Amino acid sequence: MQVFKLCIKVINKNKYLLLVYVVIFLVISFTLSLTAVREMETSTSFKPAKTEIALINEENTPLINGFRAELAKVATFVDIPDETEALQDALYFRQVSCIIRIPQGFTEKFMNGENVQLGKISIPNSIRNVYIDLCIDKYFNTARLYVQNMNGITQQELVQYLKKDLYDTTSVEMIAKGEKTSVTNLNYFFNLFAYPMLSIIILGMSTLMLIFNDKDLKMRNSCSPISSTNISMQFVLGNLTFTFVSWLIMVLSCLLLNFKSIFDFNTVFLVISSFVFAFCCSGISFLIGNLVKSKDAITAVNNVVTLGMCFISGVFVPQEAIGSSVLKIASFMPTYWYVKANNTIAKLTRFTLDTVKPVLYDFLIIIAFGLAFFSVSLAIRKKYRSYT
Amino acid sequence: MVVKVKDLVKRYRDILALDHLSFSINEGEVFGLLGPNGSGKTTAINCILSLLKYDRGEIWIFGQPMRPDAYDIKRNIGIVMQNIAVYNELTAYQNIDYFCGLYVKDKNQRKKLVNEAIEFVGLGEFTKFYPRKLSGGLLRRLNIACGIAHKPKLIILDEPTVAVDPQSRNKILEGILELNKQGATIIYTSHYMDEVEQICSRILIIDKGREIATGTKDELKAMISLGEKITVESYSITEKQISAIKKLPGITSVDYKNNALIIKSGKGTNNLETVLDFIRKENIHFGRIYSEMPTLNDVFLEITGKELRD
Ligand SMILES: Nc1ncnc2c1ncn2[C@@H]1O[C@H](COP(=O)(O)OP(=O)(O)OP(=O)(O)O)[C@@H](O)[C@H]1O
Ligand SMILES: [Mg+2]
Repeated sequence: MQVFKLCIKVINKNKYLLLVYVVIFLVISFTLSLTAVREMETSTSFKPAKTEIALINEENTPLINGFRAELAKVATFVDIPDETEALQDALYFRQVSCIIRIPQGFTEKFMNGENVQLGKISIPNSIRNVYIDLCIDKYFNTARLYVQNMNGITQQELVQYLKKDLYDTTSVEMIAKGEKTSVTNLNYFFNLFAYPMLSIIILGMSTLMLIFNDKDLKMRNSCSPISSTNISMQFVLGNLTFTFVSWLIMVLSCLLLNFKSIFDFNTVFLVISSFVFAFCCSGISFLIGNLVKSKDAITAVNNVVTLGMCFISGVFVPQEAIGSSVLKIASFMPTYWYVKANNTIAKLTRFTLDTVKPVLYDFLIIIAFGLAFFSVSLAIRKKYRSYT
Repeated sequence: MVVKVKDLVKRYRDILALDHLSFSINEGEVFGLLGPNGSGKTTAINCILSLLKYDRGEIWIFGQPMRPDAYDIKRNIGIVMQNIAVYNELTAYQNIDYFCGLYVKDKNQRKKLVNEAIEFVGLGEFTKFYPRKLSGGLLRRLNIACGIAHKPKLIILDEPTVAVDPQSRNKILEGILELNKQGATIIYTSHYMDEVEQICSRILIIDKGREIATGTKDELKAMISLGEKITVESYSITEKQISAIKKLPGITSVDYKNNALIIKSGKGTNNLETVLDFIRKENIHFGRIYSEMPTLNDVFLEITGKELRD
């Protein structure tokens, strides 16, 4: 086991460098995952932003005053002189996003149940106006209901009713079926994990590969009574040990930082997922180590490969935010399937064969990737083994 | 017979590196492979070790055909490569232990062997040093220690003394003779003829992958027509005196160039006294006068028409 021991010694010699990587990555990932969670929280309990509008009021009735008060909840009013040019300018320069005009005689006609309309000019395609439209619809549709069903209702009464009705804002809770949000943090963490994992394994493995592939040392070893297969196997064993140990360190520190959810089934699956992915990383690094011959080149290739793969596969940004054509390319990379598996795992609440099946498929794909990388590298090794 | 090489041909694309090379080495010999740079010494060694595929020929070691998977043969070979092959991540001690461990499994035995090897190459103070911290000469010594620690029966050293200072070189050469005395057969390649002359019991001179000559040092020198060479440094020698010297018995050629008179005699004759007598009689003033016996360089020069060393 000389070669295996050698691998361990070499890794041991480089352990501080590798540990520095681990620590830096963990700190960054942890910070990133925390901020990501905070963002998620703020984006689920949102408050509508107020929109600037102009209200040109040609009447002063209780109904309209009530409307104005209601509108004030979603809009701020900007005073603009009632002149065509001034109004057009205000819209053009986005001073307001819409102008609402309440024409003379509106209230009277409305109270009589006649069909009347507000004047409304808005910036085309402005999302912000949705709130305004909603507010208008809600107010007048509710009011119309009262007018139609309660004969002789006065404006004052109507406004009272409306105030009460519209005050109760329904609190909406979004609980999608089978989904749960408590693991999102860990999910994100494990997704991010792909990057340090790949980097460290490629870095460590290629350090080993450089030594292992050194021509003079290779020849020197070939002179010994140990078969080349034996040497290769010991080397692969050394590699896998390294992969396993770095995976273990990273997963443990990751779990320690998220200790609340350690005993979740989801966590267990995420851990398995990262293990499967670590195996695949091992394959990738083996391939890179076999193709690239200098230390500098390895650093460069490492950066390009890991960053590239992680970016387009949704390690840093959610997969939903990535274009479908990019995702199609990404599906040729194991990182994509890793992230996909993690996201699926995070959403699981029940663990039955049926719910877990898609995850298992993703695992299989990742393993297949790993095996493919290993076989390609071994084929390359074979091709270059016998020098001329 | 420890090594037998028959009709070895090795081509690198259009370079013919070994051209029908044949030789054999007996047990207990210190066999020298001598040739200028690029003559094919390393190639020959690599073929012998089955590190290279060759185009033609047969190689036997310890009476068995040598193949890449002939592990029983490999177990008894020690190799010191021309290019230093040590791990920069291991200390000097760990390096020797690693390579020794490829041959010797037993830990205690290995410890003893490694310490002996360290003693042997004189690396005692440097066992904890990493290769990067060792000077060129010390690195060479480490390289040697890695190759011989397991006490092999056949030791192959490919130019082990390149870039080593004369003192360390002598120590290495003495060490090699010591290993030989302990029973190892040695193959030693070099382009330093003096080294080869100094330690080798039998020598094969090659050039462009071809055998030029083979034999003991004396046999090789006997092959050439040249004998003693006398050099007289002097400013004042006349044409007349030169032709007079030429007429002395046994002298084959006289050359006067750059104030040095070079007198060459035929094989087996000894003319120093005659020449001295002549100089005294003619009252020639001279600076230094010395006599040399032919070297392997002269052998190489006479056979190939060029100097062994550039
Ligand atoms: N891998 C190779 N590919 C192509 N040609 C090679 C290769 N190795 C050696 N050669 C050529 O083969 C010839 C013999 O080289 P070799 O290294 O055996 O010489 P050598 O006698 O060991 O020289 P030196 O004293 O410099 O070590 C040289 O012409 C060299 O250029
Ligand atoms: Mg050589």
